[in-house]
Amino acid sequence: MSLFSALSVSASGMAAQRTRAELLVQNIANSATTRTAEGGPYRRKDVIFSSEHVSSAFASELDAQLNGSSTGVKVSGISVDNSEPERRYMPGHPDADADGYVAMPRVNPAEDMVDLMGASRSYQANVSAMSAVKDMIQHSIDLLK
Amino acid sequence: MLDSVTGNLERYMDLLSARQKIVASNIANADTPGFRTKDLDFQSEFASALSGSQTQASEVAGLPVKNDGNNVSLDREARLLAENALRFNLASSLIKEQFRMVKDAIQEGKS
Repeated sequence: MSLFSALSVSASGMAAQRTRAELLVQNIANSATTRTAEGGPYRRKDVIFSSEHVSSAFASELDAQLNGSSTGVKVSGISVDNSEPERRYMPGHPDADADGYVAMPRVNPAEDMVDLMGASRSYQANVSAMSAVKDMIQHSIDLLK
Repeated sequence: MLDSVTGNLERYMDLLSARQKIVASNIANADTPGFRTKDLDFQSEFASALSGSQTQASEVAGLPVKNDGNNVSLDREARLLAENALRFNLASSLIKEQFRMVKDAIQEGKS
């Protein structure tokens, strides 16, 4: 039934927005991190979304052939900001170079907070879509009562 | 009696669920660069669904395109989401009523 694959589509949207929120939170948390495993200051990360075809767990191959698969969204990659780190003059800092400058992450918390609100709203939109579809399925089931 | 009305209602519900699936995928892709809003032409699809052909989604024209090439309007999708769900509920109530009438006829015949 095509309504069940609509649930998969909304679920893919929720998963993608959650990944986006996770990365934004990570950016905010690390906005002053000067040491990372890769060396150097933290570099901000962003999701790359692309649309993909999803099918519901029970959708048969025949159903996919007849109705075409529906378009969900997936995180196709994570982009790492490779721009030069911001150099801030902090002579007392343990990671300061010979001139007293520290390489700080190029993260703007205000920008990330606004983006985080966007991610949260998009997540809510997907939840609403899922609950509307769920109501439709419930009404179909109620026909049997 | 059950066949003609219920059959049409069933196709109506099929079409509504197909449309709801398209709306859900538009909402899921609201932040996907380059994604274009899709929809189906309800009137002509319903006419062709009555003759038993497949639904075809097409891109919606006339929506403002954002900088990333995406033209999903969440307001439009939210409206369609609610509208489809209400129409579907209405259709399912009507079918339920048809079933009830048949059931009544069967039960009245019993006594």
